[in-house]
Amino acid sequence: MSSASLTDNRTVDVDRLVDRKLVLYFYLASLTYLFISMLGGLLMAFQLIRHNPLSGIEIFSPGRWRMVHTNAIAYGFLANALLGSMFWAVPRLTLRPVLSRLLSWFIFIAWQGVVLATAGGILLGQAQGLEWGETPTWIDPVALLGLALVVLNFLPSIVMTKGPLYVTLWYFMAALVWTFLTYAMGNFMPEYFVSGSAAGAVGGLFIHDLVGLFVTPIGWGLMYYFVPILLKKPIWSHGLSLVGFWGLAFFYPLQGIHHFLYTPIPMFLQYGAVISTIAVELVVASVIINFFGTLRGSGSAFITNLPIRWFYTGMIFYFLTCLQCAFQTTLTFQAIIHFTDWVVGHAHLVMFGVFGLWIQGIMTYLMPRLIGHEWYSRRLCEWHFWLSAISLAAMATDLIAGGLVQGHVWRALLPWDVSIEASMPFWVVRVFTGLGMFAGQIVFYVNIYRTFQLAQQGAPEAAPAARPALVGA
Amino acid sequence: MNQTTSAPPRNRRARVMTAVFALVILIPSMLGFIAKFIEFIAVFRGQGEGSFAVTPMVNYLLATTGFFCLFGWALLHGMFREIEAPKQRMLETEEWLVRQEAASDSM
Repeated sequence: MSSASLTDNRTVDVDRLVDRKLVLYFYLASLTYLFISMLGGLLMAFQLIRHNPLSGIEIFSPGRWRMVHTNAIAYGFLANALLGSMFWAVPRLTLRPVLSRLLSWFIFIAWQGVVLATAGGILLGQAQGLEWGETPTWIDPVALLGLALVVLNFLPSIVMTKGPLYVTLWYFMAALVWTFLTYAMGNFMPEYFVSGSAAGAVGGLFIHDLVGLFVTPIGWGLMYYFVPILLKKPIWSHGLSLVGFWGLAFFYPLQGIHHFLYTPIPMFLQYGAVISTIAVELVVASVIINFFGTLRGSGSAFITNLPIRWFYTGMIFYFLTCLQCAFQTTLTFQAIIHFTDWVVGHAHLVMFGVFGLWIQGIMTYLMPRLIGHEWYSRRLCEWHFWLSAISLAAMATDLIAGGLVQGHVWRALLPWDVSIEASMPFWVVRVFTGLGMFAGQIVFYVNIYRTFQLAQQGAPEAAPAARPALVGA
Repeated sequence: MNQTTSAPPRNRRARVMTAVFALVILIPSMLGFIAKFIEFIAVFRGQGEGSFAVTPMVNYLLATTGFFCLFGWALLHGMFREIEAPKQRMLETEEWLVRQEAASDSM
């Protein structure tokens, strides 16, 4: 056991600061749900080209699989991976363990229960009529209680930190509060308190805030932590990073209504959402400039340092998706792209292209430390990256282009069949790009499994020269 | 662990960049918000076409008020003094942890 004293007379038990086994379990759960979600996505892709292998089975009907696909990504893959990463980062940033190790394990088990019950409820036809909030209504209070326990577990360590907080902790602190409030607002208000267009407006806030106030702050918080320690240099400007944080805090919450342009919601509210979306694009630009300013002088790390490559590729996709967002929320764009595959392409670009890539970059860095052995194969790590990144870029491009075609066909008031036939080539490409992403994950799972085997066999690590230098700067 | 940090080098360009971005983002957004708030009051006073917009607006105002209070608290508690210091301290802490873990592994 290793303990060390700090200048403020606290003793830090370094070995017990982070529960590595818990982080590993969160990651394994996250990857399991990613596998299930990708299966759901592939089934939907086959359904669109009229080759659904499960056709006629009600429990596996495409409408239900689609919801399993999206919910498994949000609450299974992303939530588990982000929570696991926070269990790594928060104690190391604050030099304080989380409130309770027992509570942490309870949260892990309870959250898997929530996700599995959600999947089961959706497949059995109990989905709540709210996009991204399809969790059956009887699970909502349990999920909210789970989120309250997460806040209780993390917040004391952050609040007790003395002196000006590092930007990561600001993001985490806000995300903890935001997620709880967003979940409560989205799942309870339209269900029990408001109806009609007001419920629609709240639903719009919910689906966008789930991305912007839960996934985004934790994702950026993690980038502000992992990028400097991997590049071994501080972030370019901490002041600019705080501008990004407070900009997100003040401008993001209003923009969800941009999902409901051309609806009965008052135009001033729709215009407000458009303006705040464009304002957030400026905030995003400040964050991107900060990270690329940090990379300046260490550009070779983008080639040699695999986690850094994952992170910065995700950032490029983030900039593109936010730029796309600033345009697509204008009324001119919406008239063409609304309800088309453009939106699906946009969603894949942000969920997998940004946060999925960041998470896989973090796992690429941390898995060897959690398993206790270097990666089995650097080549498999490379395959994982290229298959994921190229397939995702191809899928997003394909869907965005397909969406434009669909939009123009609809505007021309051609029969519905015409738009289906026009979409078919794009949907065929979508299947192959999905298979490419899936193949990338299979490669990753094989690499993890083989690394586990090496660790269990007690195989000696390769000499430094021969070792897969994933983080060689 | 040596927790004391030397003052970070003054990065004038970074400060200018920060100030420019703050102004570019904050001023237009505040003007826009004030205009929308006036419209909101007009709706609330009886334009029948959209009184249901009160729900999302109240949501936003509550969230923003909370963050405005937090911003004020942070300002009063010196969270923005030595604004570049936390980035150095974070790296030092991580390096210290890595050293401690390496020492622990070798024991």
